[in-house]
Amino acid sequence: MKVSYKWVKEFIENFDEDIETVVEKLNETGLESTYEKFGNYIPNLTTVKILSIEKHPEKDNLLVCRATDGSKEYQVITAAKNVKEGDIVVLAKEGAVINGIEIKPVKFGSLTSEGMFLSFEELGIEIPSEGLFILGKDAPIGVDASKLLDLGEDYIIELEITPNRGDALSVRGLAREIAAIFGKKRTEKLPVVSILQENIPEIQVETDKLNRYRAVIVENVKVNVSPLDIQLKLIKSGQKPINNIVDITNFILLQEGQPLHAFDLDKLEGEIHIRQASEGEKIVALDGNEYTLNKNDIVIADDKKAVAIAGIIGGDNTKVDENTKNVLLEAANFDPSSVRKTAKRLGISTDSSYRFERGVDIENLPNAQDKAIELISSTAGGRAVGESDVHINVYKPKQVKLREKQIKRVLGAEIPKEKCSELLNRLEIPTEIVEDGTLSEIPAFRAYDLEREIDLVEEVGRLTGFNNLEETYPSISTENFNYPDYFKLEEKIRKFFISNGLTEVLTYTFSSEEDHQALGLPKPDIEIINYILKSQSLMRNNLAVSLINTLKENIKYGSKDLSVFETGTVFFDDHEEYRIGILLTGKFIDGYTFSKEKQQLNTTEKWDFLKVKGLINSFFEYIGIKNLNVNLPQLQFLNKYEAVKFLKGNTELGYIGKIHPKTAKNLEIPEDTYIGEFYLKYVSRDLKEPDHKPYIYDLIKEKEEIVYNEIPKFPSVKRDLAFEAEEDFSVGTLLDEIPKTCKLIKKVKLFDVYFLGNGRKSIAVSVEFNAGDRSLTDEEVNQMVEDLVNKLNEKFGLKLRK
Amino acid sequence: MQIKENIEALEKEYQEKLKNIKDLKQLQDIKTELLGKKGKITSLFKLLKEVPPEKKKEVGALINSVKAKFEDILKEFEKQLTEKELEEKLKKSKIDITLPGAWVSPGAPHPVTATLRYISDIFVSMGFKIEEGPEVELEEYNFDMLNIPKDHPAREMQDTFFINKKGYVLRTHTSPVQIRAMLKQKPPLAVIAPGKVYRKDLDPTHSPMFHQIEGLVVDENITFRDLKGILKIFLESVFGKNIPIRFRPSYFPFTEPSAEVDIGCTVCKGKGCRVCKNTGWLEILGCGMVDPNVFEAVGIDTEKYTGFAFGLGIERITMLKYQIPDIRLLFSNDMRFNLQFKGI
Repeated sequence: MKVSYKWVKEFIENFDEDIETVVEKLNETGLESTYEKFGNYIPNLTTVKILSIEKHPEKDNLLVCRATDGSKEYQVITAAKNVKEGDIVVLAKEGAVINGIEIKPVKFGSLTSEGMFLSFEELGIEIPSEGLFILGKDAPIGVDASKLLDLGEDYIIELEITPNRGDALSVRGLAREIAAIFGKKRTEKLPVVSILQENIPEIQVETDKLNRYRAVIVENVKVNVSPLDIQLKLIKSGQKPINNIVDITNFILLQEGQPLHAFDLDKLEGEIHIRQASEGEKIVALDGNEYTLNKNDIVIADDKKAVAIAGIIGGDNTKVDENTKNVLLEAANFDPSSVRKTAKRLGISTDSSYRFERGVDIENLPNAQDKAIELISSTAGGRAVGESDVHINVYKPKQVKLREKQIKRVLGAEIPKEKCSELLNRLEIPTEIVEDGTLSEIPAFRAYDLEREIDLVEEVGRLTGFNNLEETYPSISTENFNYPDYFKLEEKIRKFFISNGLTEVLTYTFSSEEDHQALGLPKPDIEIINYILKSQSLMRNNLAVSLINTLKENIKYGSKDLSVFETGTVFFDDHEEYRIGILLTGKFIDGYTFSKEKQQLNTTEKWDFLKVKGLINSFFEYIGIKNLNVNLPQLQFLNKYEAVKFLKGNTELGYIGKIHPKTAKNLEIPEDTYIGEFYLKYVSRDLKEPDHKPYIYDLIKEKEEIVYNEIPKFPSVKRDLAFEAEEDFSVGTLLDEIPKTCKLIKKVKLFDVYFLGNGRKSIAVSVEFNAGDRSLTDEEVNQMVEDLVNKLNEKFGLKLRK
Repeated sequence: MQIKENIEALEKEYQEKLKNIKDLKQLQDIKTELLGKKGKITSLFKLLKEVPPEKKKEVGALINSVKAKFEDILKEFEKQLTEKELEEKLKKSKIDITLPGAWVSPGAPHPVTATLRYISDIFVSMGFKIEEGPEVELEEYNFDMLNIPKDHPAREMQDTFFINKKGYVLRTHTSPVQIRAMLKQKPPLAVIAPGKVYRKDLDPTHSPMFHQIEGLVVDENITFRDLKGILKIFLESVFGKNIPIRFRPSYFPFTEPSAEVDIGCTVCKGKGCRVCKNTGWLEILGCGMVDPNVFEAVGIDTEKYTGFAFGLGIERITMLKYQIPDIRLLFSNDMRFNLQFKGI
């Protein structure tokens, strides 16, 4: 809400604080606000009355106006269409600077224009409008127009309230707040109206979403431009003046916080009904849009048709126009959540709905409406001839107690009950002092916000000022001074990958069906209904999709080498998982090896399957998970001949692999792209974690503590052995098998594999024997080697090469 | 005496020869010539038998001294030449030390995770425990139990992503972890909950996915002043001692009283700039005393316990810390961005 500071000051007795202090204090006490100057003073502007209008003799689109400032007449040529004889407008005289251009007499054809009539925009006022600013009939002519319009004089306060402070959404409410902050008195001139009961509106209430409905018929109004004061106040709030009747309803809404609506009485047929809309009922609103309603929406209707969407917007069919003679002025109070639901569903927010959603002061309703009637009578000459007030939910003030000890408990400060009472009374919350604190009667304007003791603690706290409370330091009762195991593990993993050259990425957890399809992965379970982008409408069920998108982006940025990892969330119907994903492609050493003999620089180390596997083996070693098995992953997007999954027992811990060339081609990414994912942790949505297969985190929790083993006193004996095998015999099988054949074998190391060319290959290993308690003799070792060779021959048909 | 003269001549000759010696090989040759089995000094001892007995002792001593002398000299030469040759060998294989090293260059941590860690460290060291919750969260925990009823304007404070799983949403804040923590554990409680949150919002300062850290302390006699104390420690740890801090009353459904906390603008030091929109202040977090309705929802006695809660956006702090102008850069994963953060 934007309002004029001058306007607010009218409602506070003897108040003339500077705007900066006021806004600062408002912020300090809980109303977020900013201010800016209203326009800038422009010299050489005057107000003039249009005496005559003629068409330009030579130029079709121009009008030649004669205007007077009371002492001097001007000839002004304008292109504006909205001028009439008798209108008062702002004239920029010679020497005025408008939008950076100095006004001088200008010739249009054979005629000279002695100045320029101004629109809002040309006055520096941010109101979209076509045509000139037509001032109210009461505007004096021949005066300094900048001064008259307060240009550069007034300030505009812009208020951004929190949802609980609907009471501040008016000049009246803001004045009340400022008066309370500065210990001043709010003033108010009460309206004097007499309503005859000659023509009483008939009202039928057919819903329980209404608290009060008061309708007043005003006859014989003359629709015209508003008086200058009303125009100016609306303009300062960023609203375009329309006509006196409509302006007055808007003016009262801003001043009092009470939405009003004026119907053209002669367009209403029969009685007024406040009822549920029928399913599919349509209404064209004042904004020109047609809205389709359902039976949860409340409408104002006559006997034949809906004429307004309750509390939100009026209908076009009964709107006030320049021919309107009689009006029905509505002041109502609707159920906030009903208004909110309808406004939200229809996607409209009006000044009226904004206020109803946040709660409108039901007790100020007649006051606000009477002020409007008073203004209509005085400016449009109407006569109030009938009133009907259906007051369904009469406000019953709630008594709320505030104990001194409760203030101490929450704020930590002693604020005596006398002070509390003073502060609350300043806020116009009638409060008396009782034995252990204060007792307040909550007024209707705070009914939506103040219900409980804690609400009053906040009121006292914010007016006292949180910045005046001194800090204390609680002793935190906890035995915890460390990260939970999972965070430690994740941190360790991050450190590992970062030190090994991988950069951490942070991708959106959103994905698309296409992302998953491209990898042959199932469609994710969790879908966003109101997504921003279709490509971000599914919650991913794996990290590969995100990492591939990262690669694609970086290729666009011109980088072909990528070594990245992420610890991120993936989603399933009944649980979530934290995973770690890696994507590696291209070079990973950002340097070269230097060979003096060959006199050359060798500049590349590229990722290949064994390097990636080595990285992951080393990762598992680093986090302390030993004795893993490997197997073949069943993932369509991987090249199955260069892919492996890691298991502990039967539990899958993750996979790595080279992307399938077909997938690479489809996705337009390099063929030498390696992707991996590891399953870190199960995340439950229930408070209790259900049973689930173990994740890496679970293995870490259960892992055995490392205990020191005595360093062998006796030297080991090493033997190098080369075996001959079929070409597709897996080396891993051999390496796993050897230690199982003999307890004294402490270590097996592969040192050479080469292909013999006849469909066979040679596998050379170094085997280390140690008995622990003594030196082994040659004979013993020879015997063990012989046993080993025999066993391997029996099991795999391997032969020892001489 | 012939022999004596021979010795002197020998000495003179070899002193001269040694002057021109170039390498260990030549030295070895000289050594053999002098001290070898048939060497010239060795041969001198053979001449000793021709020396009259009374002179034998004297001449013998003389030869011995010459031998010792040459042995010392040769040893010295050998030492020098060895060093010289080693030096030459090293020099020959010298490397241009200005060539870049050839090892894996480390990757870069992500600035958001780094900031999240950094902030968690501060709270963990104060005794806060870390709690977690799922990102697909029960509406009940995300809203209702946090005193955000249906059809209340407060629900609109955060634009929610709705999903195809009934009763669940993508959590809009880390506050539901407060509910989880209080349902699991009785007071006293001091927890923080870092994690991803989701809001339907996208512009230079808003991302549909971002990170928050939630804090919650519940105990007997916890007051707003305690909240101020804890946040002061935290903000001074992050932004430096004596950073101006301002508490502005505000509204959050799950705390009362509620406040927004501003710090003096870190860019202009309070003078007013584009980053702080000329206010001199930067909004940094929201906080307040736990609303009694929240305690009631989780069954904590409101007459016995009080508590405070706070929540802050990690991206906001990351952007301030590293002067990153657009939140979308943080999720671009553009290596030209990410690699700038090596070593943080």
